[in-house]
Amino acid sequence: MSLLEFLRTAMIALRRNVLRSVLTTLGIIIGVGSVIVMSAIGGGASRQIEQQIASLGTNQLTIFPGSMNVGGRQGGFGSAPPLTEKDLRAIRERVDGVVAVSGQMNNSATIVAGSANWVTQVQGASAEIQDVRDWPLSAGRFYDAIEASSRRKIAVIGATVARELFGGSDPVGTTIRVNNVPFEIIGVLKAKGQAGGRDQDDVIFVPLQTARSRLMGRVRVPDEVGQILVKVDEEHELAEVQADLERVLRERRRVAANAQDNFAVRNFADILATRSATQRTLSLLLASAAAISLIVGGIGIMNIMLVSVTERTREIGLRMAIGAKGGDILGQFLTEAVLLCLAGGFIGLTLGVGISVVVSSIFQWPVFISPGIILVAIFASAAVGVIFGYVPARRASQLNPIEALRYE
Amino acid sequence: MNEAGANVKVPVVAARDLTKSYQLGEQAVHALRGVSFEIHRGEFVAIMGPSGSGKSTLMNMIGALDVPTSGELKIDGVDIATLDRDQLAGLRNHTIGFVFQQFNLLARTTALDNVKLPLTYAMPRPADPEAMARQRLEQVGLGSRMDHVPSQLSGGQQQRVAIARALVNNPSLILADEPTGALDSATSLEILNLFKALNAQGMTVIMVTHELDVASHAKRLLRVRDGQIVEDRPVHGLLEESAT
Ligand SMILES: Nc1ncnc2c1ncn2[C@@H]1O[C@H](COP(=O)(O)OP(=O)(O)OP(=O)(O)O)[C@@H](O)[C@H]1O
Ligand SMILES: [Mg+2]
Repeated sequence: MSLLEFLRTAMIALRRNVLRSVLTTLGIIIGVGSVIVMSAIGGGASRQIEQQIASLGTNQLTIFPGSMNVGGRQGGFGSAPPLTEKDLRAIRERVDGVVAVSGQMNNSATIVAGSANWVTQVQGASAEIQDVRDWPLSAGRFYDAIEASSRRKIAVIGATVARELFGGSDPVGTTIRVNNVPFEIIGVLKAKGQAGGRDQDDVIFVPLQTARSRLMGRVRVPDEVGQILVKVDEEHELAEVQADLERVLRERRRVAANAQDNFAVRNFADILATRSATQRTLSLLLASAAAISLIVGGIGIMNIMLVSVTERTREIGLRMAIGAKGGDILGQFLTEAVLLCLAGGFIGLTLGVGISVVVSSIFQWPVFISPGIILVAIFASAAVGVIFGYVPARRASQLNPIEALRYE
Repeated sequence: MNEAGANVKVPVVAARDLTKSYQLGEQAVHALRGVSFEIHRGEFVAIMGPSGSGKSTLMNMIGALDVPTSGELKIDGVDIATLDRDQLAGLRNHTIGFVFQQFNLLARTTALDNVKLPLTYAMPRPADPEAMARQRLEQVGLGSRMDHVPSQLSGGQQQRVAIARALVNNPSLILADEPTGALDSATSLEILNLFKALNAQGMTVIMVTHELDVASHAKRLLRVRDGQIVEDRPVHGLLEESAT
């Protein structure tokens, strides 16, 4: 018998009992459907996070004073000496592969422009921050290195601040009050969007020296820089640069050979790594949930196929009597099981995609259905058909034609 | 195999010391106890005998559905003991046409598709199965019922479809186990006349029956009792003799 005839025969047999066929494949429908939905939501979330991390910069290192515990959180803050301009200079001069280095001190501040006011984050930063963060301007200019180490009261504002305080009008040249200190706006940054649940554009940058003297309150040493942000050359291996940088800092900050670092270096690759580890666990969970539902679905298929073989014993006997070989009968029932599973898989797939689309539009969640998962779903359904259809099909093919013909 | 079949001198069926026993627990049931006969091309043979005498057992073996316990059975010159399961299926497909008492048509399947069924298992595949099936349905007088499903056909019509199905692959012989057992006498006669017509065109027919007047339509009669052939005679004069 040819494949086409197998398919035709199977279609006829399945159409005889549409309701039963659909009920039989319910396990597979639900299994495939839920896997598609879960992976669509998971895939959407992880793609969003990836995009956010990309927007933060994957070739960027951030150095904090204090040590870091195993979980990646900062601890032992108070005792550690602050990071200073000297540390910053040492990194710039002695570490290979560093493109730009910037100090950065954060504080929150109330900004008043005319009658509007807005609470945002003030970042005192070196001029190089623009390079480190890879952040173009939409209007005006950024302050230069000389201005950064002056005490000039100039500010570059983020897109959100610009929108909240000025609406559509051009803020460049206007004066705002930051914690009651007047600053002249010299530039507006392009929008970067959300990252890690935070609006990156809700920020204003002022020269580091100005921030130290006017906005940061108590400064422990005159040249304290808060954190240091380092942009690493794309050509260099991030981990190598990081190791080099840690060595230089330990030396400069006189950390004893067996003592813990009194600073912490964080990079987004690490975050990515922990994240992909969680994702692996998640996909493992997803895969086992899928496997279980497919096995349950498969048992349903096997059950109904065994019933079908018994019901159609006479038909099998007749087919054998007129010349069907064992392989023909095996093929016929196997095709039926596979077709049943594939139909279930396709219904599940359609349902899963539909639910994902609805979920994404109702909850505004990003969803992403990878072509890979669709292929896997189809392939897995077919495999379930073969695996769980085999026993009933083989039983059918090994029937004795005479006994099968006599079966009541 | 086909060359042997084309040779008129080779019997279509040649049985020598055929036995068949079934093991039922401790006890052995001897359904056939040494049967020898030959059936040649163009014969119309009726097999008669009381219930349980081994007629169906014999037919199943001639039909390559079963193999003998001992003895030799050649169908179209081929010793069926030398064939494996798939080869037996092949032999059933291209050499034998079965007609059953219960018709055994596929339900909810048109007459045409029922008749085509053996061709889907044929090797090599015929070029135009549809035309072959149509031709056979016309031959049994059902040219206008091709798209009917069995539930829309009378018993006699269903048996004609079954006969068309048996004929579709140009078999060397037709085997019919009580083909009229489920039909009334008028319809039985139609079916028997159909067999006679086929036989007149050269087809070898072997038919099992309980009834003497059914057997009287054949040309040769084999009487079976307790797994043995007790009489082998021409049908000519049969009815007159039994009447006396
Ligand atoms: N599969 C089997 N297992 C055991 N015994 C069997 C089997 N098939 C047939 N027999 C026995 O073999 C003997 C012959 O049976 P068979 O069916 O050939 O009789 P029959 O002549 O066709 O009878 P009927 O006219 O009632 O159809 C019977 O005694 C039957 O019980
Ligand atoms: Mg019988």
